[in-house]
Amino acid sequence: MIVSELILPVLLVTFVLVLGAYLVAVLDEAIAGALGMPRATSVWTAPLTQGAWLLTQQANATEAPDWRAWRLAPALYLALAAIGLAVVPFSPTLIPTDLVTSVVLWGSVEALATVVIFLHGWSANTLLALIGAYRYVALGLSYILISMFVLIGVALPAESLQFSQVVASQEGLWNVIRQPLGLPLFLIVGLGMTFWGPLNLADSRDLAGGTASAVSGPPRLVWNLARAAMLVAFSGAAASAFLGGWLGPWLPGPVWMLLKMLAVLAVLLLIGRLVPRVQPERCVTLMWVVFLPLSFVDLIWAGVEALL
Amino acid sequence: MELLTLFFIVLIAAGLGLLIQWLPMRHQPMPTYPQRAPFLGGGLPETHAWNRYHVRYYPMTLLLIAFEMEMMFMYPWAVVFVEQGMKAVMEMGMFLAILSVGIVYGWREGVFKWQ
Repeated sequence: MIVSELILPVLLVTFVLVLGAYLVAVLDEAIAGALGMPRATSVWTAPLTQGAWLLTQQANATEAPDWRAWRLAPALYLALAAIGLAVVPFSPTLIPTDLVTSVVLWGSVEALATVVIFLHGWSANTLLALIGAYRYVALGLSYILISMFVLIGVALPAESLQFSQVVASQEGLWNVIRQPLGLPLFLIVGLGMTFWGPLNLADSRDLAGGTASAVSGPPRLVWNLARAAMLVAFSGAAASAFLGGWLGPWLPGPVWMLLKMLAVLAVLLLIGRLVPRVQPERCVTLMWVVFLPLSFVDLIWAGVEALL
Repeated sequence: MELLTLFFIVLIAAGLGLLIQWLPMRHQPMPTYPQRAPFLGGGLPETHAWNRYHVRYYPMTLLLIAFEMEMMFMYPWAVVFVEQGMKAVMEMGMFLAILSVGIVYGWREGVFKWQ
């Protein structure tokens, strides 16, 4: 009982997070190479080289940082990614933690991510990091509602706030077809949570790296790792909420799940390399006036569809 | 048991994150003070970065609170939605319509602009 309910879930989450974060780096490198950007000699070893270099590099410090918060923020972000992945079901029986309220827990991970990212920028006591942090809060408070409405939309036909029930409710037809607005809106949330590509307002180049501008060495390694891990956790949530999770013919459930997660990651990384960064000043209006009403439409669509 | 497992997962992930930072940095010397000056494109800081920062978007955060309260009602609503049927659609539709007026009003007042 201890093995199946405690050790196996912990090992599963750790394994998928670490392997997933590595694959995110490999995929991103491969996409960059395919798009004609300068590439490493081998996409498979480049993330490892980069990691080893950060691990041995000297860690930077600022004059008067909030030390505890500065070291804690990357670790907490990693922990949030682990919580997010822990509620994702890999098959009807293989679920790290099958909480009855896992959709609510996922929502709280999104909310706390905003807090942790702000903490990372605030604690360095550097202007550019602080601007990145404040910018991120504006984005974080804007995308979180979109995510909530979209996730409530998938909970309606399932009559449950449990991810495993949400997957089971897609037996006949996946939510990506049943609620066509859901997945595109949720992908925006994913880019926001990990401040990736077009929504990279926290660590953007125009702020010389934003919240991570004064971070180097091992803390930078943990921060990059946590970001990639959060992307993996998000792909798990997206795959089970919209792409039918473990459902699929011929192959066993967990394999389907991993394939769908990889597909979501590939789409996100491609968007990250192809779409330019949105202006922070316009981002809030865009989220509240365009995407939030679209998520209302998605919810009403999902509601009517569930009753038909 | 599920919560206990989740607690262990949090503990291990956060512990791992701290360990990866602490182990290689144990014997590292601190950088010198000139190196520790905040990066300001060559300029020198006159105050702490924390001194004063005007958050331009705070009316938006107030609007968010209205919607966050609505989410609290929405979670139980989602579970009983199918058995309540059309009544649930109408109720939440009315609620959302009222809150949407708030968005339109906020938009007109320029709440979503940073200026």
